[in-house]
Amino acid sequence: MRYLIVGGGIAGTTAAEELRKIDPNGSIVLISEEQNRLYSRVLLPHYINGKVERERCFLKKESWYEQQKIEAHFGVTVSKLDVKNHFVATSDGREHEYDKLLIATGGEVKTHDEDCRGISYLRTLDDADHLLQLLGESPSSVGIVGAGFIAIEYINIFADRGLKAELFTRTGRFFSRSLDQDSSDLIKERVERDGIVVSNNPPRLQEYAIVGIGMGVAPDLSWIKEAGVETRAGILANDFLETNVPNVYTAGDVAEYFDLFAKRHLIVGNWMNAMTQGRIVAKTMAGERTRFELVSSYATNVRGMEIIFVGDTDREKAERIIRRGSKGEGGITQLFVRAGRVVGATLVNRNSERAEVTKLIREKIDL
Amino acid sequence: MKLRIKVDPDLCIGAASCVTIAPETFQLNDENKAVVFDHGTEPTPRTYERVIEVSEDEKENILLGAQSCPTLAIFIYDEDGNQLFPEL
Repeated sequence: MRYLIVGGGIAGTTAAEELRKIDPNGSIVLISEEQNRLYSRVLLPHYINGKVERERCFLKKESWYEQQKIEAHFGVTVSKLDVKNHFVATSDGREHEYDKLLIATGGEVKTHDEDCRGISYLRTLDDADHLLQLLGESPSSVGIVGAGFIAIEYINIFADRGLKAELFTRTGRFFSRSLDQDSSDLIKERVERDGIVVSNNPPRLQEYAIVGIGMGVAPDLSWIKEAGVETRAGILANDFLETNVPNVYTAGDVAEYFDLFAKRHLIVGNWMNAMTQGRIVAKTMAGERTRFELVSSYATNVRGMEIIFVGDTDREKAERIIRRGSKGEGGITQLFVRAGRVVGATLVNRNSERAEVTKLIREKIDL
Repeated sequence: MKLRIKVDPDLCIGAASCVTIAPETFQLNDENKAVVFDHGTEPTPRTYERVIEVSEDEKENILLGAQSCPTLAIFIYDEDGNQLFPEL
């Protein structure tokens, strides 16, 4: 069997590792846009604040790929997929045939129109190195664009260094797709205590020595669409992570898969989801057809305050939102309800409810 | 066999992937950090480090839980004190 995996992040690499466990002799080719072997993006903030050394970010040794008989091509992108003749063409002028293809290409960071030297992103190890360089130049003023997970990382990085950042958010709300105004206000009040100024004016990027951009990610679907693989915001897949094209599968941040708890297609951009999908899709690719069933969650901490997302946290898709706690109590939980069941939750400074709400979602308990 | 399992709370961010894979061994505390359980029970006091008796299958699953941590906050040692994960 010839397995071809496009994407060398945690989804693609976990799939390769799992395929090797199931099929000791199959051919496994891994194509990665990254120049680097697998590292943890989640560790980048720890690397930037000096908690871990750069080398500790890597999750696999250089020799691992060869030991596992995984033929890895780094720094290579796909230019064309031919699903009829079962091959992909790559930027280094090669063609790779496959019996089973996994697309796990992740998301591309959305870039700001303006380009100046101090602009910083926080997606790759190179981005982290660049930010460390900028921070080493004793910046006098710093800004942040966005109000999601990456913006939170910039808030912590700047505040740790005593830098008073100005944060620009178009919506005026943190995590505007998920949080209500009061939950957002809790975060805002917390960061303002550390001197962060939250503004919904258009940003003036040139005024800052560093501007951290956290405007989200979106996948590059160009060659995937051209090949006839069905897409929306991501690659459409069923609950087995199979696409509309036979022998083509998807996993990780690029997958818009049918979620068995939310009962709708979701794109979930977190570590736990990507890793688990990589493991599950490998089983299916190797012939043990396996459903993907996971209530995934993601947590971040802003200046000591925990923010936790569990399951489907799109406010607009909820039929009803049950709220526990209040601004006055210092913490708010939102439970998102559809068809009489909790499908997702956000917890701001109410960590102790995490296990309970995860159970409500996982066990599909009727309210 | 016995394993010594240690969570570094300074590195743990509460991603909970260990809890998903090995819930008998890892659970989150109120600070949203993983603590070490002994086969689903929580010997007092709650602690980030514990030595527990495990079977070969349990050891493999605990290692998988440790490997799943995106911040490599979980350290596993064998009875002789050799670090099994992260590999040195």
